[in-house]
Amino acid sequence: MIELLFVVFLAALLFSTIAAWFVAPNAPGHRIPPLFLLVSVLLGLAIAGKCFLTGSTIYLDFSSHLPFAFGFTVDRLSGFFLMLICGLAAPVALFSSNYSDHYSKAAWKWYWSLVPLFILSMAMVVAASTVFAFMLGWELMTLLSAGLILIEGDSEERRRSVFIYLVMMHAGAAAVFATFLLFLPHAEALTFSAMRVAASGLPNSLRTVIFLLSFIGFGMKAGIVPLHFWLPKAHAIAPSPVSALMSAVMLKTAVYGFIRLAFDLLGNPQPWWGYLVLCAGIATAVLGILYALAENTLKRLLAYSSIENIGLIYIALGVALVFQAHSLPTLAALALIAALFHALNHALFKGLLFLGSGAIYRSTSTLNIEELGGLLSRLPGIGISFLIGCAAISGLPLLNGFVSEWLIFKSLLHGSALEPAPALPLLIGAVALASTLAGACFVKVYGVTFLGRPRSAAANDAKSVPQNMDLSLFAMAVACLVLGIDPGLLLRPLYSLAALLVANATPPPELAVISRTMPLVAAAVGVSLVLALRLMKWGGRRVDTWACGLPGLTERMQYTGTSFSKPLRSVFNAVYKPARKLDVEPVGESYFPASITYQSVRTTSFEKTLYRPAVDFVVAAARQLRRLHTGNIQVYLLYIFLMIVSLLLVLRFL
Amino acid sequence: MGIIELALAKVLSSAAVLLFATVLLMATARRISTCAYLFACQSAILTAEVVAVGYFQHIPGAYVIAGVVLLAKVVGIPFALLWLMKKLHTPHDVGASLSPGYSIFVMSGLVVLSFAVVRLYLQELRAAEVILAAAVALILSGAFLMVTRSKALMLMIGLLVLENGIFLAALVTTFGMPLIIEIGIVFDLLIGLLLMGIFVFRIRSTFDHLDVSRLRRLRG
Amino acid sequence: MNLLANVIQVLILVLAAPLLRGFIARLKAIIQRRRGASIWRPYADLWKLFHKEDLVPKTATAVFRGAPAIGFAVTLVATAFLPLLHSNALVQLDGDIFLFVYLLVIVRFVMSLAALDGGSAFGGMGSSREALVATLAEAPLFLVLTAVAILAKTSSLSQMAQWTTTQNFFDISTVHILAFAALVIVAIAETGRIPVDNPTTHLELTMIHEAMVLEYSGPSLALIEWSQAIKLHVMGALMVALFAPWGMSAVDTAGGLLVALGVYALKLLGLAIGLSIVESSVAKLRMYVVPDFLRVASALAILAVIFTAITKR
Repeated sequence: MIELLFVVFLAALLFSTIAAWFVAPNAPGHRIPPLFLLVSVLLGLAIAGKCFLTGSTIYLDFSSHLPFAFGFTVDRLSGFFLMLICGLAAPVALFSSNYSDHYSKAAWKWYWSLVPLFILSMAMVVAASTVFAFMLGWELMTLLSAGLILIEGDSEERRRSVFIYLVMMHAGAAAVFATFLLFLPHAEALTFSAMRVAASGLPNSLRTVIFLLSFIGFGMKAGIVPLHFWLPKAHAIAPSPVSALMSAVMLKTAVYGFIRLAFDLLGNPQPWWGYLVLCAGIATAVLGILYALAENTLKRLLAYSSIENIGLIYIALGVALVFQAHSLPTLAALALIAALFHALNHALFKGLLFLGSGAIYRSTSTLNIEELGGLLSRLPGIGISFLIGCAAISGLPLLNGFVSEWLIFKSLLHGSALEPAPALPLLIGAVALASTLAGACFVKVYGVTFLGRPRSAAANDAKSVPQNMDLSLFAMAVACLVLGIDPGLLLRPLYSLAALLVANATPPPELAVISRTMPLVAAAVGVSLVLALRLMKWGGRRVDTWACGLPGLTERMQYTGTSFSKPLRSVFNAVYKPARKLDVEPVGESYFPASITYQSVRTTSFEKTLYRPAVDFVVAAARQLRRLHTGNIQVYLLYIFLMIVSLLLVLRFL
Repeated sequence: MGIIELALAKVLSSAAVLLFATVLLMATARRISTCAYLFACQSAILTAEVVAVGYFQHIPGAYVIAGVVLLAKVVGIPFALLWLMKKLHTPHDVGASLSPGYSIFVMSGLVVLSFAVVRLYLQELRAAEVILAAAVALILSGAFLMVTRSKALMLMIGLLVLENGIFLAALVTTFGMPLIIEIGIVFDLLIGLLLMGIFVFRIRSTFDHLDVSRLRRLRG
Repeated sequence: MNLLANVIQVLILVLAAPLLRGFIARLKAIIQRRRGASIWRPYADLWKLFHKEDLVPKTATAVFRGAPAIGFAVTLVATAFLPLLHSNALVQLDGDIFLFVYLLVIVRFVMSLAALDGGSAFGGMGSSREALVATLAEAPLFLVLTAVAILAKTSSLSQMAQWTTTQNFFDISTVHILAFAALVIVAIAETGRIPVDNPTTHLELTMIHEAMVLEYSGPSLALIEWSQAIKLHVMGALMVALFAPWGMSAVDTAGGLLVALGVYALKLLGLAIGLSIVESSVAKLRMYVVPDFLRVASALAILAVIFTAITKR
């Protein structure tokens, strides 16, 4: 029965694509594709919920009807990620129905045909049980998202960013494919079940190579430093709902792939694998948030913040691998649960923030926070949900971000049981630093965008947004709150999931502790809040802000995003290394200049030290290879002749 | 007698901790006089250590050594340093090329390094791990001070801290040194100090400053 | 009896906080050879503020108006985690050190937002400087708590206090010395005292916390001042609980609790004297030297965690 429903779900996504071609925007039926998508996604959510919460598994195998192995298996892990995908797609669909109203007819059609396919490809990735299905979904994700990015314009700059995105995603896909292919001599077929069986018989060196390739391949897709180069470029130029899907959901499919391979298919990790993942996670988390702090365009900032959260997830995964390698299954389960929970939390609050930025863009046509301000009074619904999103991403208690960070801290603290003892607990400092930097970054974002005075006419005349947008954001904010106050809702099923991936695990006591405590703390805070509100008076006389006795404050006298982050940027100067140019006109006139121009350009060091040299090397190598193409036909015949001779020689001497 | 025994036992067990504290404080010090006082504290701890070792190992000569160390390093040398500072009217600044924040990071690394090194040789030497690590840490920190502080007086203090470390290492590994050698070392030090004092006066009268980083023009 | 004692702990932390502030101000005055105000002055200030009018800037939103209440409420809940009289706090769970620290982070988050809501340059300045100090002070705070947690093999504040009371005071532990030094620096940074921030200044060059609350008046300001005082008290109580909890009563009789109260008051007085001496003898650091100061705390905290493996004590 549930198999049938799953097929219906997939078919519905396919059908809503087709439906988009028969409807036009501003025509009577233009709400049909969004509605259809919403319904199919809710169906998917129900199916995934059933698989994740109750453990029933869906097996679908189409291999007999097709020339290659193609099938779906939705077990608890797939169900969790499918739940994540559909759970995010629902508000995104609701939001997009109004967001796409201003698109041209062609753009609208493309949008509503590609988005369901995009969601379908992601569902295919997490539900695949064969390598072919997985890779098909994987590549489709890249292509479809590239197409969706180009809907909003294909200027030279955008095309270049999309090109970088496609190249890096293909490189990652190649690494992933190679990982799977390496199982081949030992696995009888390219299906996950066969690979799982064969994994125990693989020689150690091969296992290491498989792990490293999968780490690089999935890491490239997830955005691990130094392979994160494409992320800010691609996520910043996509339409906001698509950015939400890419950042909140697509990155998690890479996490799913890594977990599936490292914990399920491969198993029995070695300690240094875990430490490698851990180090990569730390670097990603700290560097990601430092770059986010320096950004002032909303979507690029959110993209870098996604990098930071992926870093946190990888930290938890690394800790889980280390514990598993040292045969501490309960602690490994704890860390794995922390990683999975953080994946879901990040999907929720990052999706919320990206949709919020989409609403801001619709309302003010700008995403530069230096031109915004005072939006809370103009867009109250968006403002409140955005505040909850900012608070959640900073890890404040009573919201979901805190619970997963608390679990990460606890698992790191347990690391004092290993040798060398202080190694893992020291990382608590690094995670705390990343978390506090995130708090500072999002205080800047919210304070400069929504509070204070509007810094430009666009912000001052912000148009109100349709109610659907408010509603979709509100739903996600409520989800963040609910998961923060009662995390036990998800922690219990997550434990059942972790128990499947880590053998011999027992329920970690931390889960029960946090599930019991958060509702208590919430109640205590509620009671104290009531007490505090009785002590103060809510009303108050409105006066002008204190301006040191001057006639009045203008909006330019407020702190901007750049000035807010300046002290922190100067402390972490070694990371940023901006190229600065200061021009004073006329030269030499320091007291009464006619004009002063200041320019500060930040290129991330990775671009200078890693990517440029790599690209230059490839181009140089290609240039050398070009010399083989002399254009002379006899030279080409000579190449063929030489190849035949050498093959004969090889055959003779082997 | 019971309380003296108790106190000396406490000295033996906590000397290392206090020495680490002085090492870290010296890394963050901003004035030369602070370093001089810290050096006096270090030498006082060493004196107490010598007395404790002498008491528990029943070496009467240890008390003489302790007296010499007290006179020379706790009273004499710091007094000489402060007197030199007053006579030369030097600015009190330490002349650090590394700010206190980064210095203490490096110093912490040196402390961890000294523990790592000592752990390798623990079986061969019969001393307690902590106090030997403290000795190595003193040596390394003296060298670190000499490298990163550019005032001539700070170079002297760095050398003195280094000597403290060597003395402590010798004390702990051989359970008391022959008296002659110790007196020899101390007199060596005093002569060296006198010479340095003379040199410092000459440097100051020739160049009008005591900043060794500015002496780089003495190139071949 | 247990529950009553726990509630009394919270009440002491909340109600005696202005008294602690008054004490420190009076001690500073004595050291600086002034007469100084009475130690009960902060209570009079709070009473006065609660009876004054609340002025709200024209650009302010509900964030500005709600921040003092949220900050006060969360600070109240945070006080429930600290053991004072006996090694049992009102709320304890394994891992509450992290929850405790993050509750204080909420207060800072909403205050920073409220400061930006005023739409003036002072608010932004306060928020941005507070972000700088807070970011660099959180990591050492976490590491200090981690170091003691590793030694005590528990991550609950009450259990850590319990474990420390079983240790011998005269066995000097390197970990505790380093952690205490780091915690002193972090506490000064978190509560905004000299040398990081001057709590009595209103010059824009020298304000950090004061700049954030410049627009507040009346009962809102009273709640903010009270929260700040409670935070100072909480940091002091944290230091006492982690590093010098001897004197806490082991049994829950009224007499034992009274004795524990007296011992606690003495320890807090000692901390107050120490803070007053530091505040009177050291100049406030320049803004861009504060990160260096906090780097010292980070190095000490990292060393404390490393030493938990070396000396096992």
